[in-house]
Amino acid sequence: MRLRPLVACIATVAILAPLAWFWRASLLPSSYSVMPVGHAGHEGHGRSVTMLTADLARPADVSVTLVARKERLRLASGRTMSGYTLNGQSPGPVIHADVGQLVQVRLVNESVPDGVTLHWHGVDVPNAVDGVAGVTQDAVLAGHEFVYRFVPDRAGTFWYHSHQVSHEQVASGLLGALIVGPSDNDVLALVHLYGPARTVNGFEGSQNVTARPGTRVRVRIINTDNGPMPVWVVGSPFRVVAVDGSDLHAPSMVRDVSLLVTAGARMDLEIVMPASPVRVQMGGATSIVLGSEPYDIPSAAKPPSTLDLLSYGMPAPLGFDPAKANKHFTYDIGRRPGFLDGTPGLWWTVNGRMFPDVPMFTVALGDIVRMTVSNNSGDVHPMHLHGHRAVVLARDGVAATGSPWWVDSLNVGDGETYEIAFVANNPGIWMDHCHNLPHAGEGLVAHLMYEGISTPYTMGTQTGNNPE
Amino acid sequence: MKKVYQVIAYVIAALVVVQAMAVVWAISGESKYVSDGGVIDKAVVESREVIFPEVWGFAVHGINGGLVLPLVGLLLLVASFFAKVPGAVKWGAAVFVLVLAQMSLGYASHEIPITGALHGLNALLLFTAAGYTGLRVKRVASVGV
Repeated sequence: MRLRPLVACIATVAILAPLAWFWRASLLPSSYSVMPVGHAGHEGHGRSVTMLTADLARPADVSVTLVARKERLRLASGRTMSGYTLNGQSPGPVIHADVGQLVQVRLVNESVPDGVTLHWHGVDVPNAVDGVAGVTQDAVLAGHEFVYRFVPDRAGTFWYHSHQVSHEQVASGLLGALIVGPSDNDVLALVHLYGPARTVNGFEGSQNVTARPGTRVRVRIINTDNGPMPVWVVGSPFRVVAVDGSDLHAPSMVRDVSLLVTAGARMDLEIVMPASPVRVQMGGATSIVLGSEPYDIPSAAKPPSTLDLLSYGMPAPLGFDPAKANKHFTYDIGRRPGFLDGTPGLWWTVNGRMFPDVPMFTVALGDIVRMTVSNNSGDVHPMHLHGHRAVVLARDGVAATGSPWWVDSLNVGDGETYEIAFVANNPGIWMDHCHNLPHAGEGLVAHLMYEGISTPYTMGTQTGNNPE
Repeated sequence: MKKVYQVIAYVIAALVVVQAMAVVWAISGESKYVSDGGVIDKAVVESREVIFPEVWGFAVHGINGGLVLPLVGLLLLVASFFAKVPGAVKWGAAVFVLVLAQMSLGYASHEIPITGALHGLNALLLFTAAGYTGLRVKRVASVGV
């Protein structure tokens, strides 16, 4: 019987030792670079991301200062809560610019303890101002500031948000809208959840906007939350005129269909005002009501069918030939049990591997890139590529037949496979991650890296940089 | 160690009870929230906000089922090696396997809802197996095997 305790001990070790080993192997260093092993190091190689800027000598056409604070914020609806503000408000001020103007934003962190950054979601900015803490800059600590300079190259609806501890800072208020191009008669609909309160432009429930019969109204919808949001229009047909800041070609009039605006994505709707009010419902009860006194139109249930952008509108030239792609990447999202920085759980994988062992997609300037994004993880993922817009070629083997469908935030449902393509025309190191920000924090992140570009920045507990 | 083994088995049975109560509490809260005019879409779900207080039931169910139960199940298996109860390892392993099956069925139900029905069935099997594992310690000991 002396053998028995020995066997018990061996069995215990046999079970626990591998677990302990996996746990230990998963721990992240207190400071690490996104660059692959062998490329990292403060001396770097090639050009640093800090050199990838807009023309430094050019004066600004649009100049804005944004002061970030941790304080109680007061929504347009009157509700107050603790969170973060930009210039004393949340959402932050709407920034307007025209195509080709140099936008200069001075970010001052007055009192956000973890530090802040600003990422220009959907704008193909120079890499140095992409705003990713630990990749393109250090987080701006309290008492410090950082200047962002970029020239938007196309008109559209965009937004900005912190990319430092983003899963917490964006939810708690560090965000705002950026509108490029003429927008005089437009209606902004920035949807955000502040705690349990779902808001549009800070209003809970409905916001009434005056629109006379016969006028053409463009409603710019921005989903700043972490999951896809259905949108539908009551009282009028409409067109979807732009997606993610890119105009659609020849969009047809539709009615009684729902739209899906995924996390981080934008959709612009055009409505020619009828004699009676029109209600644009976003995620349910939250609405913009267009009309004039009285704004009397009841809400309605979501139409069962959803508009498929794969076949909406008419084809048009892309400006490049995806068939001539010279780089093919696979971004396969899965899920498996394991340890993430020591925490056991069921975690996301990219191409079968778990963070930080995720792919670095390496390209050269001018490459034509095709990427197959597939998702078999049991959950939907709104995938966001920084610094580029990609065109959707096919979904689940069915080719796109409608307008060129450019995206920076693509809703990849469970079981879906998308084929996308883009031109590598913006050197730098760019995140390509899930815009369900807690998912990104759980490691659903990869990077697109240009040859010859390096970053001096690192992330990890010791660095103060935590982009997700 | 016999006692430790027995207590862990009872703890697992109790945790299964907590699981059932927590998830039904949460679903009831969700149902009331919707009845009162609340709207839930994926954006709301993914905000991980407490939009109705019973959301805590989902959090308890998730943490308890995804983290606590597998850890306690593992502890039962390890304790079974030292328990000096005939059949301890067999029953400890059976409970642990049922815990893993329960997790798999639970996660799978998000994609394939019918596996949620099996998740409910397996909960009863797990509860019974864990309870029996605890009960039989005394029985086997008193028989003197």
